[in-house]
Amino acid sequence: MKNNSNLSILLKGLLLENPVFVLVLGTCPTLATSTSVIGALGMGLAAMAVLICSNAVISLLRKVIPETVRIPCYIVIIAGFVTIVQMIIHAYLPALYDMLGVYLALITVNCIILGRAEMFAGKNTVGKSVLDGVGMGLGFTLALLSMATIREILGAGSFAGIALPFFSDHKIEIFTKAPGGFLVYGIMIAIVYKITHGKAPYKKQFSCEGCPSAAICNRGSCENAVKEGK
Amino acid sequence: MKNHIKTVVSLTAICAVVAILLALTNYVTAPMIEKQENAAVNEALAVVLPGGSGFEKMDISSFQFPETITEVYSEENGGYVFKMTTAGYGPGMVIMCGIDANGVVKGATCISSNETLGAEATYGENLKEAKIDTIDSVDTVASATRTTEAYKGAVKDALNAFVIIGGGSVDLRDEAEILADNLSAALSAAEGKFSPVFITAELEGVSAVYSADNGAGYVFVAGENFVATDPSGNVIGEASVDLSATVTAAAQKLIGVTLEEIDLSAFPNMPSQVEKAYKASNGNYVFELKAAGFGINGDEWYNPSGEYIKIKASATADGKIIVCETVSQKETDGIGSACADASFYLQFSGKTAENYGQIDAISGATITTNGYKTAVSKIFEAIKILKGEA
Repeated sequence: MKNNSNLSILLKGLLLENPVFVLVLGTCPTLATSTSVIGALGMGLAAMAVLICSNAVISLLRKVIPETVRIPCYIVIIAGFVTIVQMIIHAYLPALYDMLGVYLALITVNCIILGRAEMFAGKNTVGKSVLDGVGMGLGFTLALLSMATIREILGAGSFAGIALPFFSDHKIEIFTKAPGGFLVYGIMIAIVYKITHGKAPYKKQFSCEGCPSAAICNRGSCENAVKEGK
Repeated sequence: MKNHIKTVVSLTAICAVVAILLALTNYVTAPMIEKQENAAVNEALAVVLPGGSGFEKMDISSFQFPETITEVYSEENGGYVFKMTTAGYGPGMVIMCGIDANGVVKGATCISSNETLGAEATYGENLKEAKIDTIDSVDTVASATRTTEAYKGAVKDALNAFVIIGGGSVDLRDEAEILADNLSAALSAAEGKFSPVFITAELEGVSAVYSADNGAGYVFVAGENFVATDPSGNVIGEASVDLSATVTAAAQKLIGVTLEEIDLSAFPNMPSQVEKAYKASNGNYVFELKAAGFGINGDEWYNPSGEYIKIKASATADGKIIVCETVSQKETDGIGSACADASFYLQFSGKTAENYGQIDAISGATITTNGYKTAVSKIFEAIKILKGEA
């Protein structure tokens, strides 16, 4: 992160540090909710809302929260926002609530959110953290949307529930199943790697501080290993 | 120490603030979520009770409902929706039925079932506008008698439950229970154990006779009256003069009649349908017949059971059937099996060689009906043979 301008914070989540395709975080909800475009959009926006709110609050409290209990504090804050979002969706968008099912509640343990709390919001100002939340949330949403578009068109022959002429007669069912999800996921990671070749940071460059387990791990040896380029 | 306190306080404070936020959100969203869930339930319930609103699930533990009733929803205009679980051709048929404030069925639908036809969802249409006093006359669907009977029975249970909710009382006994209760009331000395008596004589005004298993006497069914007699046919208890005379006359004709089996090998031209024949001491005949119905003549699609319908019949010496009843059968369940229903075989009472064919066939079971009729027709032939007229 050489350039820390606000714009680059916002944009890095879209491609260079895309949480799904580059950081490989949040794989479980990605595979589970990318079977339909509507579900993917709902999931992405719900996660983005939680991400922005939790990033803002965690950044606000970063000097108050004691180092030793920061992970429990983050989890409580994230879980609180997830539950609020869940209740609001249940009340106002029941169809989406039924579609997302248990994955809505599982946003709590979505690595992207805890990862960003650890990696960014815990060290930066509120404004930057919100921008990071927006960027990462958009990145997650775009990744879900791109995967869902491919899987829904090829697997179900429709886009956002509207049947497409040619594809609805030639469905490739496997794309709606888990193996199809992995297939699309792998291909997308390869494409993103190709596009950003040489520009995207290697995972281990931010692996230690960004790791949710950093609090209980022997940091020194990890960081040294990174420095030595191992 | 100071650090420890700070840790505890900050984590507790965060939890408390989050809890308050959650409580506030819940305060706003809970009524909306509840409203939505009620709307979903109402939508489902309005299918069987159109125009109904404000459905509320009732606590039915304090009511003595028919066993099929599993859930009841009340509606603000005085109507109710009942959910029943019954058994049709297979178990687990779940039916919902809406009844308006006047006790009229406004809709019935089958939610889930294991039936073979797949059309049971539409049977409810026939039951629309039925009331407690008209439901018995609703026709069953041909070739799905058992399913539609169960369907009708469940909706009737709902109508009964509606009466119970309104503070009324209904007779929940089935036909067999009502008969048993009537018999016991007429002859308590029998201790509730009766067997039907096969009628071998022409009786006037008496439709059925039951004997006490312990030999305490007989019960004669005359119209709606159940009259008891002692073992020798004297009327016990109160009965009008006419009734007493009817029962005494019947008892004299019936009690003490003995049967003597006829050796059929002496009659080489006896029809094969006649398995056994008896000569009664009052001059009448009793036959045991086998009828080739669907069990014998069925097509390969439905695997005929290979069994004959067994019939027992009594007839006068001049060729008039007294009674005819089905003893056993293995016809197609729910279709030809109706030949074991009293409403079918009692049609032959009083019939002669000229008019025995004038009976209502079992719908959807032509082969069963024809086989049965053929066997019955042999009674008249057999009598002539036994009397040496043929």
